Amino acid sequence: MAHIPDGVLSFPVLVGGGALAAGAVALGLKKIGDEDIPRTAILSAGFFALSLFALPVGPSSVHLLLGGLMGIVLGTAIFPAVCVALLLQAVMFGFGGLTTLGVNILNIALPGAIIGSLVAPLIYRATPARAALIAGVASALCVGLTGLMVAAALALSSADYMLSARVMIATYIPLMLIEGFVGGFCISFVKRVKPELLAGAA
Amino acid sequence: MITRILATLALLALSAWPAQAHRLKLFATLENGTISGYAFFVGGGRAQEADLRIKDESGREIAQLTTDKSGAYSFKATQAQTYHLVANTGDGHIADATIDKGRFSGASAVISEANDDSNDTSANATTTAQIERAVDAAVARQLRPLMEAYEAAESRTRFNDIMGGIGMIIGLAGLALWSSGRRKAKP
Repeated sequence: MAHIPDGVLSFPVLVGGGALAAGAVALGLKKIGDEDIPRTAILSAGFFALSLFALPVGPSSVHLLLGGLMGIVLGTAIFPAVCVALLLQAVMFGFGGLTTLGVNILNIALPGAIIGSLVAPLIYRATPARAALIAGVASALCVGLTGLMVAAALALSSADYMLSARVMIATYIPLMLIEGFVGGFCISFVKRVKPELLAGAA
Repeated sequence: MITRILATLALLALSAWPAQAHRLKLFATLENGTISGYAFFVGGGRAQEADLRIKDESGREIAQLTTDKSGAYSFKATQAQTYHLVANTGDGHIADATIDKGRFSGASAVISEANDDSNDTSANATTTAQIERAVDAAVARQLRPLMEAYEAAESRTRFNDIMGGIGMIIGLAGLALWSSGRRKAKP
């Protein structure tokens, strides 16, 4: 779903996405401090491994995106984290293309970066239960935004790849629920065990 | 810290063990002049009711089909030419497959079945065509499971690859830490 393969998107969409993603990754790298490197790497590895696993849902199949979770913990460092993981997935497994790398990075990381940066200060101050709720809603929202961005990238490229609203709803709504639970659970766990992990992006 | 990172990674790797990957693929084969196959997710079921378009060599669309409940489709090829198939699930999964013109060399006899009797004047030619057709059908029937297994195996996510990717990410993090350490040590 979020791994758009080569040869699907039109040239302007690829170039636009590539340029924006390059800028975002550069910005993310610039703002990474020494103490951010290990958690960026851990979440990048987690995203790399977990988003390889898909479950059949309805007429299609879904996998975790973790955009909300990464955005909350990493802030703008989500861009290099997603960039490295997607590059490895494309090269090693053919998940998503190399030419579409920029667009795919934006689709997954941009909602996470924006929503994550917005809610991270709230989560930092909240109780674990509240933090879980906020993180869950934020994670679900990120999945929805990623879906909309994928739809926009495909619709801008060619009328051939018209998306079916029915399939989108049937696959993204369950995924939003799953991601909401995963995001909420992870953040409440971190909040109780190692709350200082959430201080960086806040 | 290091042990904790390693423990996390080991957990991740273990969770990754029953390797299932996420990618739409399109299986297509040619049997008796009929292109058939199915759209499937690597390790994650079939693409039901996906849109399937068939194009000829020049990129002109000749047919638009929908896969059934088990992701399957079939299409009767009318000419010996290269067919290009594109499957689209409607949520951003797109896959393609090509049936090459060369695959039709024997099957062309099958396609023009109706004309066979009128065209072939000698009994000898008919027999040759019949044998060719029978061999073609038999080979296609026997090859199909092999091709299906190959398609499935080709893009299977392997444990070693996942570990390799995670190792690469750790390496990058190490490199970043090392270079920032050097920067700090200099002044």
